[in-house]
Amino acid sequence: MPFREINDKMVEATVAPGQRMYSQRGAMLAYRGDVSFTPNIQGGQGGLGSMIGRRVAGEATPLMTVEGNGTVMFGHGGHHIQVINLAGDTLYVEADRLLAFDGSLQQGTMFMGSQGGVMGMVRGQVTGQGLFTTTLRGHGAVAVMAHGGVIELPITPGHTVHVDPQAYVAHHGEVTNKLSTALGWRDMVGRGSGEAFQLELGGSGAVYVQASEEKL
Amino acid sequence: MSGPVIFDPMTLPSDDNVNSYTFCVELKGSRWFLQKGKMIAYYGQIAFDGVGHGRFERLVRSSFHSPLHASDWVVAEGSGKMLLADRAFDVNSFDLADGNLTIRSGNLLAFEPTLALKQSIVPGFLTLIGTGKFVAASNGPVVFMEPPLRVDPQALVGWADCPSPCHHYDHAYMTGVMGGLRALTGIGGTSGEEHQFEFVGAGTVLLQSTEALMPEQPTGAGPGEPGVPGTPGSAPRGSGQLGDLQRRFGL
Amino acid sequence: MFRLQGSKTLAVDLTGDAVKAKNGSMVAYDGRMTFKKMTGGGDGLRGMVTRRLTGEQMAVMEVKGQGTCYFADRASEISLVSLHGDKLYVEASNLLATDAGLRTGTAFTGLRGGASGNGLFTTTVEGTGQAALMSDGSAVVLRVTPQYPLQVDPGAYIAHQGSLRQQFQSGVNFRTFMGEGSGEAFQIRFEGDGLVYVQPSERNTLGGDV
Repeated sequence: MPFREINDKMVEATVAPGQRMYSQRGAMLAYRGDVSFTPNIQGGQGGLGSMIGRRVAGEATPLMTVEGNGTVMFGHGGHHIQVINLAGDTLYVEADRLLAFDGSLQQGTMFMGSQGGVMGMVRGQVTGQGLFTTTLRGHGAVAVMAHGGVIELPITPGHTVHVDPQAYVAHHGEVTNKLSTALGWRDMVGRGSGEAFQLELGGSGAVYVQASEEKL
Repeated sequence: MSGPVIFDPMTLPSDDNVNSYTFCVELKGSRWFLQKGKMIAYYGQIAFDGVGHGRFERLVRSSFHSPLHASDWVVAEGSGKMLLADRAFDVNSFDLADGNLTIRSGNLLAFEPTLALKQSIVPGFLTLIGTGKFVAASNGPVVFMEPPLRVDPQALVGWADCPSPCHHYDHAYMTGVMGGLRALTGIGGTSGEEHQFEFVGAGTVLLQSTEALMPEQPTGAGPGEPGVPGTPGSAPRGSGQLGDLQRRFGL
Repeated sequence: MFRLQGSKTLAVDLTGDAVKAKNGSMVAYDGRMTFKKMTGGGDGLRGMVTRRLTGEQMAVMEVKGQGTCYFADRASEISLVSLHGDKLYVEASNLLATDAGLRTGTAFTGLRGGASGNGLFTTTVEGTGQAALMSDGSAVVLRVTPQYPLQVDPGAYIAHQGSLRQQFQSGVNFRTFMGEGSGEAFQIRFEGDGLVYVQPSERNTLGGDV
C-alpha cells in the first residue's frame, strides 16, 4: 500500500486486513482504528537469515509488525522521510534507516563484501555498521529516514556518481559499487582514515544522498 | 539563481510567518508575552521586561495565574516588528476565539495578553483560554487530527476543545505470549508503542511529526497537595542543565 | 555556478574551475574532481595566525574539476549570496562555500563576542562571485536603512553586507529578576545601509565558546 506524505517528516499508511506492514519500533506517532503493533523477534519473513531478524536478536534495530484495520502515522526523531516506490526492483538500504515498508516486499540481506569486498569495508569501517545491508525487493513502498532530506541522483552508464559514505542513504537499480578515492582527497582527510574513500556507484539506477554527514 | 527575499519593516508580514521557522509580530503600542530568548531580531522601539517585575507584577495575577513559571516570560511592549524563532523548529500561529487550547509547555513561544495562561492538570502542559493569538513551535509542521485517536505521548503537541486524554495501554502487547516471553527473557524490550494517549469526543488534536521531544519548559510546580498530579519534582527536566544554562545566558 | 538542490544541498557545476568549501562538506559528485586542503582560508600566513589566535577553525578545501559537486553540512539550510565587488561579513561556522575567485579574510568586529560567545573576529568574503551561507533553519534577510536600524540577537546573527555600523547594546531596561536575565538582554544594533542575515535559531552561541 502506498504511503501518503503528510509533510516531509510524517507519512500516513492505511492498514487493511490481510495486509501487514513493518515499521521501526517507536516510529508510530498516532493511529486510529483497530491496529496492533507486535514486536518481531524472528524478524520479517527472512527468519534467522534476515538482517532484520539478526538485528532484533542482537537487540539492535527492532521492527514491529503492524496489522489490523485503520490508519497509522509514522515519523521518527525529526528526520526527513523519503518514500521510495519499488516496481519489481531491489532497494539497498541500511536497516536502521527503514521507517516503515510494505509487508509484501521481500526482505533479504546482502553481504556487501560480495561486491568486491569494498562496500563491506565502507560500511564496517566508516559507518560502524555491520557488513550486511538490507535489501527489499518487489512491488510496494518503502519509507526511508534521512537527516535533513535527501536528493536523488540518477546513475546512468558512463555517468558514475561518487558519494560520501556517511551521506549515503540507499540506492536501487542495477548498480555496481566500489570504493574509490578522488585525487587529493586522501591527503586532505588523512591517510588510513576510513573517510579517505568514497562510494563509487556505476550502472543504471539512482542513489539517495542526505544533506548531512551525520549518521542516524 | 534568484537571491533570497529581502525584508524591511514595510515588507515584513504583520502577525504572520516569514518562513516556516520565523514568525513576525507587529506591535503598535501593544504588548506580547514571549518566552525568554525567542526574539531573534526587531525593528522599531520595543522594550523587553521581565514578567512579574515592577509595573508588570500585576500581569502575573491577570495573565499567568502561576507565579513560578512567570520568570521564564518577557513582556515586549512598544511599536515595531519583531521576529520570533525557536531552534529552527517549525513555528505557527493559532487563533483562539473564546476557546481553550492545551499545549506542551516547551512548544509555546509567545501569546497575546488577551489570552490567559494556566497550568494544565496534565503535567508539562499549559492551557490558554480566551480570545487572541499565540505562536507555537513544533518539530515538523503541526498536523491537526480529530478524535477518536491514539497518540504517542511524545508526538503530542496539544489539544483543543476535547476532554483531556486518558492513558491507553495495549494489552495484547503487554500480555499475550510475546509479552510474557519478553517479560521472562527481556528479549524484545519495550516498543514504546504499548502506551498511548487516547482522545475521544469532539475536538482537535495537534500532532508534531516526530518523537524527538522539545526540551521541557518548567510549568511551575503545583501546590504540592495530596491529590494534585505532577507536584514537586515529579517531572524531571529533559536536558535540564542545558535549559538552565540557556536561560541564564539569556539565549 | 552555484545552485540549490532542495534547500539543504548546494550543487556546484564545475567546468575545470574551482570552488572553496568547508572541509568535509562534500556529500557526492559526478564527473572528475580533485580535492586540496587549504590553510587559513586562503588569506595566507597572517590569516592563519589570526585564526589561531581567535580559535576560529575554518578548515577549507579547494575542489577543482569537471562535473557537479554536491555540498551539505548537518542538514543546514543554504542561502546563496551574489557579490559584486562588495564585502560580506559572515561567521566562520556559517560559511559553506565560495567561488574560488573570492578573497576570504578575517576582520575584527568589536566587542560583540564578549557576551555572546561569538568570535571577536568574523570572516570576510570579498570580490565578485557567489557564496553559500548556511543556517540553522532558513535564513531571513533584513534590510537596514538609516531610517530603520535593526536589533539582532547575537546568537541568531549569521552575516551582513553593505556599509553597516554595528554596536553591541545591552538589554534595554531589564533588571534581574530571580537571578536570571530577560533573555533579550544583549543585542547587536545595526545602523547604516545594508543587509543582515539572521537564522531562526539561537543555538549557535550555545554550541560555540560560551
